[in-house]
Amino acid sequence: MIIFSERINGMYRDVRAAIDEHKADVIQQLVRHQLEGGADVIDINLGPTKGDPVENFVWLARVVHEVTPKPLSLDSAKPDLLVQVVPRVRAALPETKLIINSSTAAPESMGKLVPLAVQHGAGIIGLTMDQEGVPGNVEKRVECGAAFLMTALEAGLQPDDIYIDPIILPINVAPKQPWNVMEAIRQLAMANEPPPHFIIGLSNISQKCLMNRLINRTYLVMCIAAGLDAAIMDAADKDLVEAAVTAEVLLEKHLYSDDYLRAWRMQKGL
Amino acid sequence: MSIPEVKEKWSARVSEVTIGATPAQGGTRARTVTIGGAGGIPFLSFDGALPHPPAIAIDVLDKQPVGWPKPLEEVYGDVWADPVQWARRAKELGADLINLRLTGIHPDEGDWPPSKAVEIVKAVLEAVDLPLIVWGCDFPEKDQRVMPKVAEAAQGERCLLGAVSQTEYRTLTAAAQAYGHTLIAASPCDINIAKQVNILVTDMGFPLSDIVIYPSTAALGYGMEYIYSILERGRLAALSGDKLMAQPVILDVGFEAWRVKEARADEEMADAWGPLAYRGPAWEAVTATDLLQGGADLLIMRHPEAIRAVREAVGQLMQGDGK
Repeated sequence: MIIFSERINGMYRDVRAAIDEHKADVIQQLVRHQLEGGADVIDINLGPTKGDPVENFVWLARVVHEVTPKPLSLDSAKPDLLVQVVPRVRAALPETKLIINSSTAAPESMGKLVPLAVQHGAGIIGLTMDQEGVPGNVEKRVECGAAFLMTALEAGLQPDDIYIDPIILPINVAPKQPWNVMEAIRQLAMANEPPPHFIIGLSNISQKCLMNRLINRTYLVMCIAAGLDAAIMDAADKDLVEAAVTAEVLLEKHLYSDDYLRAWRMQKGL
Repeated sequence: MSIPEVKEKWSARVSEVTIGATPAQGGTRARTVTIGGAGGIPFLSFDGALPHPPAIAIDVLDKQPVGWPKPLEEVYGDVWADPVQWARRAKELGADLINLRLTGIHPDEGDWPPSKAVEIVKAVLEAVDLPLIVWGCDFPEKDQRVMPKVAEAAQGERCLLGAVSQTEYRTLTAAAQAYGHTLIAASPCDINIAKQVNILVTDMGFPLSDIVIYPSTAALGYGMEYIYSILERGRLAALSGDKLMAQPVILDVGFEAWRVKEARADEEMADAWGPLAYRGPAWEAVTATDLLQGGADLLIMRHPEAIRAVREAVGQLMQGDGK
């Protein structure tokens, strides 16, 4: 399981304030918690913050990098902003693995961001949607996922650098979507060998839900069974991480031992 | 027609463990033996490099064995009352390491005091300059008294000490760590427990890089396939990046092969099964070569003919490696 930390996101009030006031220690403390929980990649998203977004991104990337050499996922829905941000972060942190989060399967978006990933040796997340928006069914998700995958492979990216995100929507808004997402993962995983990674922005499923942690945990396990191997999630949620590790043990992704949770932590050097 | 690519790409390799220490390294061995390091499935050198051929240790007991069959008596009978002479014989026969079993310390086998075990270990170390493996008697209360003394007496020699288990691991782990030895982690034909023992030992601060896995052993015809599948599963886990299963493996082939009926029954079965002088070593050799295919790095063996056959088979299987 590749754990992308979701926590460095300007949608969180504490992070927004820290970015606005350039308080590095607040960000770094959060990053440390995420790393202690098992985060492999730190996703950074400015959210609705003030100031020049390019400069903010570069500042945030440097601040995170001071705490960890782990890969950074540069998260924005604006392709034009990513086109500016990626070269700047690459120049500032030449050794750090970058992941572009994200492109859609719309030709305009892919045309800008896939070559950018190739040029900077970055990974890239491809959303299974195009210019028409988020699909309401499985078929369109699979179609968009396949289109993105083909474009990325043809551009020269390795499957290991490609993440397909079938886009999960809140359960209280779109009750049929959780199953559609799982089914899309299953079909795309079956059709491609070696498969790319499959990722979701987990917390989105439980937005404004009372039982959000339980919903996140349950759905993550269900998706892992369908073939999910990465998630943007709260790495500091111990129950969530342990449920994911357990699901992977039950799928024999890790060899069982009575102390398999400890083994998983040891394996990560935690 | 193109031939499909069947190479596997492994993300990790088996770790290397070096046994023994030369004078430059603080010991008195003439050379060290490094095992492990495999980057692929055994003997598929196109999958990944196999830097070290399997090493072979020859069994030496601290006292005259009881009930060893004739083919072994012919080789060791004149020296087996004296572990020092026996160890010298093992070296003459081409052993990479000496495998010394402290059987006489067992309460039912002589109940020797720790001082006697220490004396024997020191004498063997002095007489033969090969790296040394030392096993306790598998009676935990006694081993806990003896093995720390042995570890202390052999300080600096970087011996391989056995064995820790899921229930008995603290004393020997602490002793191995204090006196700079490597450690055999034993499990009863159970891969989940093999991993668990490594977790427990590592949790005490013992380095994973100094552990050798002993997944138990079974002879041809006596459940060898169970061990084989454990070896195979463990090796696949190691090559796929499971650091807690990446340790090299030791197998006790001689002990297991020579206690089965096929390697012991003499004249009464000679008409049907052929002469024991051939059959016994053959049983040991076949058990060893089969298990090597599953993924093993260090074999404890007994008969020189079996050892010769195994080395020959390994030589053939590794032909072309490094090219």
